[in-house]
Amino acid sequence: MREGLLITLFMISLTSLCDTINQLFLKSAIDSMKFGGKFNFIRIFKFIFQLLIKPRVWLSFVFSVISLCIWLLVLSRADLNFAFSADSMHYIFIALASRFILKEKFSHLRWLGTGLIVMGIVFVSLN
Amino acid sequence: MFKKKVTLKILLLLFASDILETAIHFFFKKGALAQDGLSVVDLTSAVFFLKAIFSSPFLWAGLFTVAAVFIIWSTILSKIDLSVAVPIASFSYILVPVVSVIFLHEQISVLRWTGILFILTGVVLVSLSSKERVEQNK
Repeated sequence: MREGLLITLFMISLTSLCDTINQLFLKSAIDSMKFGGKFNFIRIFKFIFQLLIKPRVWLSFVFSVISLCIWLLVLSRADLNFAFSADSMHYIFIALASRFILKEKFSHLRWLGTGLIVMGIVFVSLN
Repeated sequence: MFKKKVTLKILLLLFASDILETAIHFFFKKGALAQDGLSVVDLTSAVFFLKAIFSSPFLWAGLFTVAAVFIIWSTILSKIDLSVAVPIASFSYILVPVVSVIFLHEQISVLRWTGILFILTGVVLVSLSSKERVEQNK
């Protein structure tokens, strides 16, 4: 039982990590396009099309599929409450990756907010 | 050139992508449950398990929703930082308990209310942290 829990936890870390890599590739592809201005249907369609030509986006798909497969395995074996509370580490991964790889600027406010969300998710999920 | 302010429109898009994301979880959970009899112990059974799952209609409904979420999510990311978008999207964790109170009249424990309060505060703080600055990179 203990061992099963550890494996589940490891799998959840892995799925979070893969999803973080997926988001990194996607965000860096989008940033390289400098799509600004207003939303409208045609512009979004063009934007998505240009995005889909980028190899980085397909890399992001690969990681997203890996993440999904692991997540399906987790769901098939773990308690949902536990799975979702452990998945809150995802927010820590995203914050660190955004800060150190994408070089997004973090104020204290953003760190504090992210920390509160992580704690909140653990509280909500553990029942 | 990039205005990184979190506008109402972006919040609505995040809300939509969150609801669809929940739908994805529902579809995939349904698809996975349909294969309840199988246990995954090694690589061969894992492959067999995934094969069985990919023949489920729920999975395909899920994948269709994934495509919709991808379009919405990319649009959001073109407007704001990743470290803002992801935390704000966390309010789906509030959505489920709140919906179960309103429609299912479920009791919510003090711990859970505390968690909801934490998430809400966190989301507000992160949104504010994005409002602080308007970047000028061309």
